Amino acid sequence: MEAFELTIGSLTLVLLSLIAIPLLPIKHKATGGLILVVLIAILSTIPASKALFQNSTYQFRYETGYSPGNISIRIDSLSAWFILIINIICISGALYGKGYLKAYLDQKANISIHWILFVVLQMAMLWVCMAQQGLVFLIAWEIMSLSALLLLMFEHEKIETLNAGIRYLVQTHLGVILLTTGFIWLYSAEGSFEFSAIDKFFRHHPNQWLFLLFFLGFGFKAGIVPLHTWLPYAHPAAPSHISGVMSGILVKMGIYGILRITTFLHTGFFQIGTGILLVAIITGLYGILNAAMHRDLKRMLAYCTIENIGIIFLGMGIGLIGKATGNLVLASIGFATALLHTLNHALYKSLLFFTAGNIYQQTHTRDMEKLGGLIKNMPGSGLMFLIGSIAIAGLPPFNGFVSEFLLYTGIFIGIKSIGVHYVTIMITSFASLALIGGISMLTFTKSFGTIFLGNPRTEFHRQPREVSLAMLLPCFLIICIMLSIGLLPQFYFSLVQNVVQLFVPVVSTEINFIPAALTYSLAAIGKYALLFILLSITILIIRKIISRENTKPAVTTWACGYPAPTPKMEYTGKSFSKSLGKLLNFIVPEGKKYKEIQTGEIFPKKRKYASHYMDVIETKIFNSIIDRMLYSLNYFKFIQNGKIQAYILYGIFFIVLVFIGTIFKLI
Amino acid sequence: MTSFILILLASIFFTGIVNRVKSITSGRKGPGILQPVKDVIRLFKKKPIYSKTTSFVFQVAPGIYFASVIMAIMIIPLGELKGIISFDGDFVFFAYILGIGKFFNIIGALDTGSSFEGMGASREALFSMFAEPAFFILMGSFALLTNHSSFQEIFTSMHFGSSITYVLGVLATIVLVMIALVENSRMPFDDPKTHLELTMVHEVMVLDNSGFDLGLISLATNLKFAMYGALIANLYMGNFPLYLTIPIFLGIQFMFAISVGILESFTARFRMNRNPQYILVLSSVSLLIFLGVLLVLGEFR
Repeated sequence: MEAFELTIGSLTLVLLSLIAIPLLPIKHKATGGLILVVLIAILSTIPASKALFQNSTYQFRYETGYSPGNISIRIDSLSAWFILIINIICISGALYGKGYLKAYLDQKANISIHWILFVVLQMAMLWVCMAQQGLVFLIAWEIMSLSALLLLMFEHEKIETLNAGIRYLVQTHLGVILLTTGFIWLYSAEGSFEFSAIDKFFRHHPNQWLFLLFFLGFGFKAGIVPLHTWLPYAHPAAPSHISGVMSGILVKMGIYGILRITTFLHTGFFQIGTGILLVAIITGLYGILNAAMHRDLKRMLAYCTIENIGIIFLGMGIGLIGKATGNLVLASIGFATALLHTLNHALYKSLLFFTAGNIYQQTHTRDMEKLGGLIKNMPGSGLMFLIGSIAIAGLPPFNGFVSEFLLYTGIFIGIKSIGVHYVTIMITSFASLALIGGISMLTFTKSFGTIFLGNPRTEFHRQPREVSLAMLLPCFLIICIMLSIGLLPQFYFSLVQNVVQLFVPVVSTEINFIPAALTYSLAAIGKYALLFILLSITILIIRKIISRENTKPAVTTWACGYPAPTPKMEYTGKSFSKSLGKLLNFIVPEGKKYKEIQTGEIFPKKRKYASHYMDVIETKIFNSIIDRMLYSLNYFKFIQNGKIQAYILYGIFFIVLVFIGTIFKLI
Repeated sequence: MTSFILILLASIFFTGIVNRVKSITSGRKGPGILQPVKDVIRLFKKKPIYSKTTSFVFQVAPGIYFASVIMAIMIIPLGELKGIISFDGDFVFFAYILGIGKFFNIIGALDTGSSFEGMGASREALFSMFAEPAFFILMGSFALLTNHSSFQEIFTSMHFGSSITYVLGVLATIVLVMIALVENSRMPFDDPKTHLELTMVHEVMVLDNSGFDLGLISLATNLKFAMYGALIANLYMGNFPLYLTIPIFLGIQFMFAISVGILESFTARFRMNRNPQYILVLSSVSLLIFLGVLLVLGEFR
């Protein structure tokens, strides 16, 4: 199939969604959306898989004669990798959303627009990956951001959703401003918006500044600390399948952008690599620490996304340092890790968001401290959440371990091969990666334990039940892919190597510079992960045989002799992570709302105690800046006075200004 | 394979020796050295009791924990002899496979819905989290020193040529002993013989386990001890022939057990809220090793 047909076909499908979905009866809108998503996925997967497996690049240029108007599209292996991830997550997201939105079937218009936007979002993300020209890219980027905004504001009647939407809107556009500036700079220097012009630019100019501009611009989307503050609001507000898609791939589009710019770099690898590595360490540690503290399930997952973005950047930084030192093995492991972790995270994070959606649908709360013992009511969702937790904590036998193992190996090779100042960075990343692993284990044992284990902490009017099979099915699919990565990592690693070639140009294809030992190690972790599963099963079978007719009747949990324990006495999630929070309270401070009893108060009145963990960067840095800004901007309030006449007057002023400007040749 | 069998063998006596030392120092007659094994066998025959609150997680957790320890033991080499599992970066697999065991141990404890077991689980998660960087910095430093990244290669090529490497070996022993004590919840960090649930770490996590499950857990604890002992022994073996490594292995296991016993007899448990700081000290000791390695390699010229 030609790339031309791909573009036309994709646009047709979006138009079809605009027409068809509103016309479908309410029950079938979701099916219509799903079918369109699958069609788009098939349409884009064919060229993408060719680009990835056979290294055949798809190109299409539409010349208009006026250079900024040229449209050029290209699917190389990097685009292909992201396109495949987008398709996997979008299909499972649509499949899940079909079940999840059944509860909202009374909102006819809302559902229609939701499914149209879902199709538009998928298409816009695909175009972001395909576009090779700044303007097309920015337009696709903007459509993607806006459709995501409207998707996340599904429950727009809630104030917190509006709040989250505005945050997302503002921050995503701050990013767009930076990106636009970057492309304008490019245009003024090279006279072209084409991506190939970036390559030219980087050849003649110092690389750091333009890269920094793009890095920050994409960083807003990727959610690097300190540009992350929209994530913890947007993810909880969105419906779960949208959170899954947002966290799974929308955020990754920022990663894609940075990776794409990285392919053009010619100099400054060391500064950029070190910078990225530092940002990555901070992002990872900050994200997971906050995740450990929060009790809102989806907020916790959002912070955990930030942590994983940190891990992806860790890989990228190592790759760049590898390029800086000319160590090709290090470079290719670094980039391979970044790419593989992008896939891994997309898989398990959407899985976790989907199960979070199951919980929310059944209990209508996201507060972990109100849940408990759900595994008895929802065994399927519980098992899936457990698998997601194990994977995200980076433990074998699932896929999270594969990318962490690669990262450790990469850092290892880094330690061995380079000078003392690199070694210090490497050992720091080594230690922080270990620490991140430890904290994420704490976070997810806490979350799983609080939500699914023990006794229910609140009585629900309607007992939570297992969700429908249709909602569990996408989770099953994701788990299958996850397990395949965990057990056959060498296959995925060699697949990713096709993409890595873009970053680490191979001199000749015959020389395989990936050491055989690494491939062997990867095969080994897959093999031994399987051995571990088999060993566990064997032990459990032995246990079953031995204690078959050997079980005494169930009793209550031992409570040190106290005969009437209640669910209120259970250990809460907050207390589980409290000791960590206390130790690191300069990073995760606890805000308390409580009025101390005064000495004059003879009969103390009823009072409330509330505490919550705060995001230091948001509350201490951003809020104070915004407060100052508001203080000075208050003086200009008279401009926005709500009178239409005044606004029309501004328009006239503007026109006059432009008129005078042209007369005096100022513009 | 040799190391696997030797570790299994050592684990039979290890806890027994620790208890025996403790009883001798406190002037008691004390149980025999094989008592812990007899306890496990007795537990295997007993009828288990389950709490009504628990789910399948509670039932599978001890088995998976045990499996993870077995997998980890397979990785440990014996001098020049590789473990059953050996590949580049196997120590990462070692740490993470133990991690999954711990994960199940913790959620198993949380499954009881008890007010005490969560506390132990929380402490276990916190302490092992702080111990993790120390282990990785330690292994990273050795990898830097020896230019290898699997247990067996690191240990055999840790040539004790220059005098500094001996110092590094001693420091590494300290780190590994302390990690072993943290991971096994032994004395300065946790008192296994305490009777107050509020001050327990590991013991409170297994309050509700009984029968076969409890047997598996105590067996795993014994094995874990011997496993760390084997790691320490490996620090000193180098590439000696087998007739030397086996005595060294057994000797070091024996010394390790005795020193744990003596430590437990004469020290008091640390204050619970100070524990994380003590464990963080391990990371700084590991950093010392790292700096030492840099010195040996002459990076500071």
